[in-house]
Amino acid sequence: MSLLLDVQSVTGGYGAVTVLRGISIHMDVGENIGLFGPNGHGKSTLLRSISGLLRPTSGRHKFDGKDITRKRPSDIVGAGLVHAQQGNTLFGEMTVREILELSAFTYRAQKGAAQALDHVLTLFPRLAERSRQKAKTLSGGERQMLSIGSALMCSPRLLMLDEPTLGLSPKLKEELSVALKDISRNVPLIIVEQDVELLLSVTDRLYLIEHGEVQREINKDNAPDHAEIMDMYFGAHDK
Amino acid sequence: MSAIIISTLMSGILLGALYALMASGLSLIWTTLGVFNFAHGALMMIGAFVAWTVSEAMGLGIVAGLIAGLGVTAILGIVIEFLLIRPFYSKPNVLLITTMTTLAAMIILEKSAQMIWGARLKQLPRMIEGDVSVLGAVISAQEALIIVLAPLVLIALWQFTSRTTVGRSLRAVGQNQDAAALIGINVPMTFALAFGLGAALAGLSGILLGSIRFITPGLGAEPLVKAMIVVIFGGLGSLGATAGAAFVIGMTEAFLILVVGLYWTPFLLFVFLIAVLVFRPTGLFGKV
Repeated sequence: MSLLLDVQSVTGGYGAVTVLRGISIHMDVGENIGLFGPNGHGKSTLLRSISGLLRPTSGRHKFDGKDITRKRPSDIVGAGLVHAQQGNTLFGEMTVREILELSAFTYRAQKGAAQALDHVLTLFPRLAERSRQKAKTLSGGERQMLSIGSALMCSPRLLMLDEPTLGLSPKLKEELSVALKDISRNVPLIIVEQDVELLLSVTDRLYLIEHGEVQREINKDNAPDHAEIMDMYFGAHDK
Repeated sequence: MSAIIISTLMSGILLGALYALMASGLSLIWTTLGVFNFAHGALMMIGAFVAWTVSEAMGLGIVAGLIAGLGVTAILGIVIEFLLIRPFYSKPNVLLITTMTTLAAMIILEKSAQMIWGARLKQLPRMIEGDVSVLGAVISAQEALIIVLAPLVLIALWQFTSRTTVGRSLRAVGQNQDAAALIGINVPMTFALAFGLGAALAGLSGILLGSIRFITPGLGAEPLVKAMIVVIFGGLGSLGATAGAAFVIGMTEAFLILVVGLYWTPFLLFVFLIAVLVFRPTGLFGKV
């Protein structure tokens, strides 16, 4: 199988603080992957590095066979690799409609903009109701929907979602996980998420990330039970 | 008595129109890049001189002068962004550094203008001749043109930033650079565009100012201060707030000149600004 995304021993961080310590992950064509692990161990930083917001100090990213390590974020989006940030407020002073329209910014995205907008508003009818409201007036759940909707408007060939269900009520979380499954039928996904059960229901393979490295790779076949997941987060305890 | 009131009103509107134009470019750069362009006044002066050179010295007419003035200031704006803003963008104290670099640009532009055009006073020809009578107060047709033109330019700018994709991308970059980059907007190119557009707006105000006042290398110094007052007074935010603040300041200034005279007006204007900022720290129209 050919690789859609190949992250090769990437190191990077913010100033003197190294967050990623030679991390390597890969994603085959036709699969979805999930990233989980404790907070502050490099999951979001890895996505920032892949999408070009952060220059890695060493290592390489390849998307669809092409090296994208030193590319501008706008060029990476233009190639179809799209990143929806965690807890993203996007553009607070703009309306939902404006943001969705503007998100089809790249040449590739503009061609399918009308269709993509229909798709997003069908997926998240709430956004259609809120279309004239400024983004800063949206609730947490609506912001997540807008963030995902905006990313879908970019016409992604690979979509990276950073904690799409963070801080949501169980009911909203359920709604959103249905939407995620729906999206995953058309767009390959990389999802960063604390909820391993949700990840297992949407993705094929998981990476446990700790201390800026992959600690463990999990397939559907060797899926851990609840106690094991707790161990991964909090360290092994006496059984 | 009422004739004096009306003519004061007219000069207040004229000042407001000029200030709104001057401040719009400064405000556009501030809201997109988050830096204050201290070379804004100098760019106004360059716009006026270039327009004068093309239209008068070369004799090509005021339309050619206008186009040349706008073009040269836009290019200068892009050059200033590239050389004096961009290298410092990722520095934590970018506001302080760019204050110094744009002040340097102001001095370089002013001294260069002195070398190129000399100290002799110059004036642009009027775009339209004659006088206009408004409710008994007589103003020149050129001044009436400025009063009409300024709101039209501001409305065009507002439509550009709210309706067009490129205009919206300027606002998006101003509100959240990372998120803008992640939907495919080229952030550095947007910065250059905002600076070029802001500089061209400075050029336009300089050319209009040069048709009713004399052009000197120091033409932009006082307007720069006024434009900064307007932008801060308006609340460092939207175009509407800046335009509103421009007319409030223009009107206040006109009536202060009438009541306390030219000498005390700048002083009282600053007292007014400080008083407003004490009670409304986010500016007249700024949101808390």
